[in-house]
Amino acid sequence: MPHRVRHILLVSSLYESFTLTEDGQLNEALLRQFVDLNLSREPDLTRVSNGAEALELAKGDHRYELVITSLQLGDMNALELARRMRAAGVSAPVTLLAYDNRELTEFTARNDLSDLDRVFLWQGDAQLLIAIVKDLEDRQNVAHDSGMLGVPVILVLEDNVRFYSSFLPMLYAEMMKYARSVVAEGLNLSQKRIRARARPKILLCQSFEEAWGYFQTYRHQLLGIVSDLEFPRHGRIDPRAGVELTTRVRELEPDVPIVLQSSFPGGEALTEHLGVSFLLKGSPLLLQQLRGVLLEDFGFGDFVFRTPTGEEVGRARDLRDLQQLLHTVPAESIWYHGARDHFSNWLRARAELTLAEELRPRRLSEFEDPEHLRRDLIRSIQEYQDERASIVVADFHRELHDGSAAISRIGGGSLGGKARGLAFVGRLLAESDIRERFPAARISVPASVVIGTDVFDQFLERNALHDFAHACDDDEEIRARFDQAEFPEREREDLRAYLESADYPLAVRSSGLLEDSPQQPFAGVYDTYLLPNNEPAPEARLDRLVRAIKRVYASTFSQRSKAFLRATQYRLEEEKMAVIVQRVVGRVHENRYYPDFAGVTRSHDFYPQPPAVARDGVAAVALGLGQAVTDGEAGLRFSPRHPRHLIGMSQQRDLLNESQRRFFALDLGQEGDSLLPTRYGLSVAESDGTLAAVASTWSQENDSISDGITREGVRLVTFAPILKHEVFPLAALLDALLELGTRATTGQVEIEFAVNLPDDGSPPEFGFLQLRPIILSRELEELEIEDVEPERVLCRSSRVLGNGRLEDIRDLVVVRPECVGLGREPALEVARDVARLDAQLQSEGRPYVLIGVGRWGSTDPQLGIPVAWSQIAGSRVIVEAGSEAVRAAPSQGSHFFQNLSSCNVGYFTVNPALGDGVLDWDWLNRQPAANETERVRHLRLPAPIDVVMAGSKGEGLMLKPPD
Amino acid sequence: MREHVASILADVKAKNPMEPEFHQAVEEVAESLVLVLEKDPIYRSARILERLVEPERVIMFRVPWLDDEGNIQINRGFRIEMNSAIGPYKGGLRFHPSVSLGTLKFLAFEQVFKNALTTLPMGGGKGGADFDPKGKSDNEVMRFCQSFMSELYRHIGNNTDVPAGDIGVGGREIGFLFGQYKRLANEFTGVLTGKGLNWGGSLIRPEATGYGAVYFAAEMLGTRGDTLEKKRCLISGSGNVAQYAAEKLIEMNAKVLTFSDSSGVIHDEDGIDREKLDWVMELKNVRRGRIEEYVQKFPKATYIPIDPRDDQNPLWAIPADCAFPCATQNEINALDAKNLVDNGVHVVSEGANMPTVAEGVRTFQAGQVLYGPGKAANAGGVAVSGLEMAQNSMRYSWTREELDDRLQLIMKQIHETCLAAAERFGTPGNYVNGANIAGFLKVADSMLDLGVV
Repeated sequence: MPHRVRHILLVSSLYESFTLTEDGQLNEALLRQFVDLNLSREPDLTRVSNGAEALELAKGDHRYELVITSLQLGDMNALELARRMRAAGVSAPVTLLAYDNRELTEFTARNDLSDLDRVFLWQGDAQLLIAIVKDLEDRQNVAHDSGMLGVPVILVLEDNVRFYSSFLPMLYAEMMKYARSVVAEGLNLSQKRIRARARPKILLCQSFEEAWGYFQTYRHQLLGIVSDLEFPRHGRIDPRAGVELTTRVRELEPDVPIVLQSSFPGGEALTEHLGVSFLLKGSPLLLQQLRGVLLEDFGFGDFVFRTPTGEEVGRARDLRDLQQLLHTVPAESIWYHGARDHFSNWLRARAELTLAEELRPRRLSEFEDPEHLRRDLIRSIQEYQDERASIVVADFHRELHDGSAAISRIGGGSLGGKARGLAFVGRLLAESDIRERFPAARISVPASVVIGTDVFDQFLERNALHDFAHACDDDEEIRARFDQAEFPEREREDLRAYLESADYPLAVRSSGLLEDSPQQPFAGVYDTYLLPNNEPAPEARLDRLVRAIKRVYASTFSQRSKAFLRATQYRLEEEKMAVIVQRVVGRVHENRYYPDFAGVTRSHDFYPQPPAVARDGVAAVALGLGQAVTDGEAGLRFSPRHPRHLIGMSQQRDLLNESQRRFFALDLGQEGDSLLPTRYGLSVAESDGTLAAVASTWSQENDSISDGITREGVRLVTFAPILKHEVFPLAALLDALLELGTRATTGQVEIEFAVNLPDDGSPPEFGFLQLRPIILSRELEELEIEDVEPERVLCRSSRVLGNGRLEDIRDLVVVRPECVGLGREPALEVARDVARLDAQLQSEGRPYVLIGVGRWGSTDPQLGIPVAWSQIAGSRVIVEAGSEAVRAAPSQGSHFFQNLSSCNVGYFTVNPALGDGVLDWDWLNRQPAANETERVRHLRLPAPIDVVMAGSKGEGLMLKPPD
Repeated sequence: MREHVASILADVKAKNPMEPEFHQAVEEVAESLVLVLEKDPIYRSARILERLVEPERVIMFRVPWLDDEGNIQINRGFRIEMNSAIGPYKGGLRFHPSVSLGTLKFLAFEQVFKNALTTLPMGGGKGGADFDPKGKSDNEVMRFCQSFMSELYRHIGNNTDVPAGDIGVGGREIGFLFGQYKRLANEFTGVLTGKGLNWGGSLIRPEATGYGAVYFAAEMLGTRGDTLEKKRCLISGSGNVAQYAAEKLIEMNAKVLTFSDSSGVIHDEDGIDREKLDWVMELKNVRRGRIEEYVQKFPKATYIPIDPRDDQNPLWAIPADCAFPCATQNEINALDAKNLVDNGVHVVSEGANMPTVAEGVRTFQAGQVLYGPGKAANAGGVAVSGLEMAQNSMRYSWTREELDDRLQLIMKQIHETCLAAAERFGTPGNYVNGANIAGFLKVADSMLDLGVV
């Protein structure tokens, strides 16, 4: 009896498990893959959120064959869990599934992980779960299946967790396809079942000795070897281990295909004489090339409608296909399959258990005729779909769509990172009591439709754009080709139906697989399009929408995203693009469209102001579209727990100088591909009626500010009516949502929102736009900032983001302070110079410290340097210095907050002129430049500087190299 | 005589250790009065200066209050009642963490002479607390103000001591303070100035300083039989003072050429007329934009960015007749002053506080420029406080026009007093000496009259 993993105990927070399963998606994606193994058994997942619960459950119930755990469980870590499981006599292997590479690396460095069965790293692909299960099963079954039945074996040598965590799922997916092609030839399920056994086993080895052992046992079943060039041998990393293995294998089995991989381009030369294939790990085409090397692509797993005589009359890829075909295939075919329980068996294999159970007991005798059966099946499937849709992401149905579902899906595949986050929020809101607690507000995710990643694949494939897009380095050309390419017809029709009920402006956003996971900071890399969606001709609206979707697809391959991916060491091949089409929250005022206000809130405030503390969180809000806040132009900051203490705006002068002067709205009459948010003065908001809820009035003659706008005077955006007089319970609601979010993710979160306060008597609408986890370093050991001699200090700040110590930085990029605040042109030149240096240093693999005056990333050249993250992505530490010339509150990294925290980039805020911290400009000026322009200097020091950041204290220090 | 002053200073230092700001203020005033003390020995024998440096009364008190979290907070409150020889103590309240006895004594000491210079019956005082309004909620500010007034109310009164606002004390704080005073004292009297218009405040507060500087310039020109009409005028800054200086100049048919802010200067050779000024007021007060936008609206004007690396301000190098520095301290350095003189400017009236560095002042005096120091030229702001007290006492409010007329009259009197004092002590036409001496004379002569009290 082969070993099967039927029951998995998943120990993780709700958010992490949601990330994993993407709710309804898990069944489809995961279980399609299990079809080849065992048609009637599929693993189920039991999830618990902490170690104690897991132990309790596993001790009392021995059915679990596999325990998958997150790294930190609140009450213990993964290693402790594994040890306690052993001690409690639980035999199931414990596998660690980490969600953050940095955290994992730190953990691995400090601990011996041998009590864990395996370690994997989540990188956004649900297939990893399959790989985890298969990996275990294959190890357990290999002796029987390969040793006795002769099933082929593939050896994979790889000790890098991050790499095999993306590599194995891909490999398994290819194997499944292979297996399916074999299995599909079977005429019935039992035949398929037998053939399914033929799938090759994949054996992951992490050392030379392990691989050699497997090789000796299964050399006659060996289909091939995929091996890293260097891996441990005799307990040490051996750069020649791959070559050595190849040589020794070839002595015994000269024809076995071998693929060697390495992240060093030089590896190819090493392997040339061996007669093996070589793959460069960093190559964007790695996966595709590997596919080519390994296997061909066939189809499998479809439900094939046949007549009793065996003639094929339809083929369903998935449940939706099945449902559609049921309308059209001949009744005799339905009757034929019904009689043989084919439907329920097929559904069971696809984990549609509920539906399978519902269909199985029905006997044909219950039905008057085949048409009755047809109707009953269609109804059952529809009911099942409806039920699922009511909780999570509904599939989009042209006929049924009425715009009521919050999130629906067009096309198969993944929802992508951003949409997955939205789906999660949808469920979170549905399951919490937040709506009951705030009955005055309608809290929801704005109506969205998500175009799944399959459509992206289809689009590329049908138009043969894949190779072109990868190779092309001209964004214009990519856009032009994508514009001309044909969009899949079925999905286009779905969009047409969608637009019939969507009569508001739309945001078309990317939702890549890699986006928006905490360790994958893609914010702003791909394009977003804002459409007025108000053309009189429906066809024109559809065309514009489809073009925007294609443009988002095209942006996957833009130079910006290619550059970004290179910096993050992800491969472009790993990225697949889903697209969200979402209602823009707002109301129409003449030709303008905008929400009353919008903003961002975070559960952890890196810069708490008394009386607030870091865990009280922080929010920033602005009248109109959220751009004002995210661009750092003019947000009003407050802690949701202390809404009457405005941060940095408590005094009249601050409000007069710093409060919002203009707001962003969409001008619906604008031409162009995408609406650009337009700035308007506050008087426009006043005449639109949107100012009253967020403004106060300054009277020059009375020298005072009064709340509201009933008095004469100058309007100031203070949010006083909301924060002080609770016109809308914003602070309490944000506090509650932050709490909900942190509970669900067991970590810190950031929430983007927009609010409409309609004047027609309908309740206010709180649009929940996005939930993102924030990574805080969990490093418990505080770094001590030693008392050092003042002359060694290059920079000292008591307002530092980031945590850890960097001792390998020799390069500094310094913007001359006098070049900031001079106006638009010089500011853009500075940005360009910085970007050039960044590109150069990145290509040399040199991390650097970026130093400049004013707000980094500000769009206002008077306030700082208008760089985008992609222009400075190679920096490891950024210093934002205050100056007399630039009169702006420090940005404190807010423009790049997510990128900073995710990439663990340090951010020092100093203002030496005000006695706030130290920055030794004189020393910097004295250092010879390796490279300099009129505005930017690049210093390469003879020895590295020492950067120490104590995150929880918010302090940091940079030391000059010793003389 | 210098020995006499030196011994007074030594005494002040010995008796008031740890108050360096106060020492410095006394030193400066004493030095500017050497001329007077030398010429008129009565002041010396009556020990006027020794009496002036000793406050009539200092009140220091505990200000406990509850913050929004319910925690007890304690601050220290002060009122320095410096001199009441010519009227009730009068001077601002300052709420700032840097507030200390020394700073307030220094400010109160200067206030005595400033107030006297306005020719209105106001003595000198100053007060405040080491309370930081930054980051406090409205409710916290209110509770603090109420606690502060709960002690202060017994020491002040419309005929005793009339505090006003200062740093950290604006219309909101004056409102909270006045409300608590009214409640405790059970009377509605003009015990504070800077009040809201609905409850006893006065009109033209925003206008007073700018208008005053222009009136002072007109008076100075009058000494040479000239007027402001058709004069080319440079104004720096674009805030209240600059805007209302421009308004008054336009009214008097002068030609306003410039405004500025921290990033640059706009220069309109056609002159900034009423319509353009209205646009600037909308820009700066309502839209709170940058002055640079002026040239987009009025393309014939030019914008000159200010390069902080430059050692001179391009504004002061534009050929003109009159200059009104209305932006900030030390905005006219030695080079700027030279540029002004070289380019024909012969009237400088300071709307800002101490905008000209000492060397610049000497350049003006050497160049026969009619130079009105801020102490005198921007006294319009202080004068309005006096006018508010007067209106409160009458329980009557003057109209904007009436107030403007009175302001003009006051500026005229200030000018005359300065001129007379300068004349009396042998430096005719020297408004700096005049302003330093005139305030002193009024207080000192009154003290002589009132006996040893």
